Amino acid sequence: MITSISARVERREQVTPVHVLLRVHAPEIAADAQPGQFVHLRASEAYDPLLRRPFSVMRTEAATGALDLLIQVVGRGSRLVADAVTGATFDLLGPLGVGFPLPPPGTPVSLVAGGVGVAPLIFLAEALSSAASPYEITGLFGARTAEFLCCWTEFAGRCTRFTAVTEDGSTGQQGLVTDFLAQHLAAQASRRVLPTVYACGPLPMLAAVAHLCSEHEVTAFVSLERWMGCGVGACLGCVVPSARAEGPRYVRVCKDGPVFLAGDLDWQAMPE
Amino acid sequence: MSVDLSVNLGGLLLANPVMVASGTFGYGTEYADLVDLSSLGALVTKAVTLESREGNPPPRICETPAGMLNAIGLQNPGLEAFVADKLPTLAAPGVPVIVNVAGASLEEYVAVAERLSAHASVAALELNISCPNVAEGGMHYGVCPQSTRDLVAAVRSVSRLPLIVKLSPNVTAIQPIAQAAVEAGADVLSVTNTLLGMAIDVERQCPVLANVTGGLSGPAIRPVAVRLVWEVFRAVRVPIIGLGGIMTARDALEFILAGATAVAVGTASFVNPRTVGEVLCGLRAYCEESGVTRLADLVGAAHPS
Repeated sequence: MITSISARVERREQVTPVHVLLRVHAPEIAADAQPGQFVHLRASEAYDPLLRRPFSVMRTEAATGALDLLIQVVGRGSRLVADAVTGATFDLLGPLGVGFPLPPPGTPVSLVAGGVGVAPLIFLAEALSSAASPYEITGLFGARTAEFLCCWTEFAGRCTRFTAVTEDGSTGQQGLVTDFLAQHLAAQASRRVLPTVYACGPLPMLAAVAHLCSEHEVTAFVSLERWMGCGVGACLGCVVPSARAEGPRYVRVCKDGPVFLAGDLDWQAMPE
Repeated sequence: MSVDLSVNLGGLLLANPVMVASGTFGYGTEYADLVDLSSLGALVTKAVTLESREGNPPPRICETPAGMLNAIGLQNPGLEAFVADKLPTLAAPGVPVIVNVAGASLEEYVAVAERLSAHASVAALELNISCPNVAEGGMHYGVCPQSTRDLVAAVRSVSRLPLIVKLSPNVTAIQPIAQAAVEAGADVLSVTNTLLGMAIDVERQCPVLANVTGGLSGPAIRPVAVRLVWEVFRAVRVPIIGLGGIMTARDALEFILAGATAVAVGTASFVNPRTVGEVLCGLRAYCEESGVTRLADLVGAAHPS
């Protein structure tokens, strides 16, 4: 059930110079939200910026109705959201979209995060690590610099093993997170049960994840971010090309996703 | 005081004048959790073509000051899949279903209109002769009085349903086109579709939309749309559906006072899905406060008598 509510900001934490963690009171959405789902947030009552902004759910607390959102300032809309003061309210729609399907018990899991894409994977890691039979979780978190490894301790704390990667080597390993996914998948190739990979981050990273997982014949789920109009599947504005033989050529990130089986998308035709 | 909000759109009776704009409300189900669909004056579908259309490649949308550009490109499952899969759920809330019809040729419009006219769940047809986003999307029909006349007459000859023609704002003079549509048998005119526009990504130095151009909607276009309704009202004597950037009841009243009998909410539903309900409540409140017992009495009231 999608609900539309006015959610009060209960806490604002500046986690890096460009990331803010907002805790809002949204009990109806918090009660229903699954890892990988998102909320569509109206950043302003004014007409400019006009459209809502989608944000992945990072954490929920059903008992208190709290919903955590990780905001990276990239433009005017996210700036308005990040600058919210405690007590301010935002109009939220949610929970929206299709989240991450959980793997069968006993499957090793690899979580690949790029930058602010860590948010839904923290939610997923929490669900996986608190499952009746907990999963073996390998966490890989990459970013440009140490500054963009936002909330990494919360992610690392839920993983069985964890690797941080920065492009400039300012923290953790130097390189691209997908280089380390390649190593990891190669090391896993002889295992009886292959891992399932879950990834969220910039499109080039997701394309590389899809390619690597296809090469290793490993199941991968990716969570995409696109500009959205309605957020509920009506406007067909946020589509990406599908690789499936049946169904429409273009699928909606907001409704058919944001989580897709990597092999279901046409990465050759993916927009930049 | 009770206010009569009902309107007559060329024989199509609506309990209230607040509709949704084609392409902004999917097929009804998408907003079912958020909007009481039975409270709508009418549901208007995304455009339907004879065969399925995959639509334009992404990026398809772009936010602009107080508006947005879209170039969806008429993505739809095609006529038969629409009738089988979409129409039953559209009809379920019990409000009139208006099907928006598009085509690449006159023959395609006629074939779609004829098939839909045989279906009891379709209350009216809206001919989309104004989609700016596909080369063969109908706008070439809607920017010339003679081709508008030919197309409307051809569809009129195969359908007895109330026929709405959705006009393009991308013309030098809208009145000759409005008159041509009415002379050829249009019962109602929708004014207006999106304004042709574009945006450039200055970092990448290329157009933002894969289609290069798109249709501008949202509050940014409202003054243009109100002016077009005003002009069409003075040119023809058929009901007008006013649309273009309606965000509030006051916006809807501008259109009504300019000459619209009904209004449609489009982009505003993306921003606030409750807009349709808020507009309806606001129209009722305005009538109560100003002692108007029939909303229809306000239609065109801003014109000098």
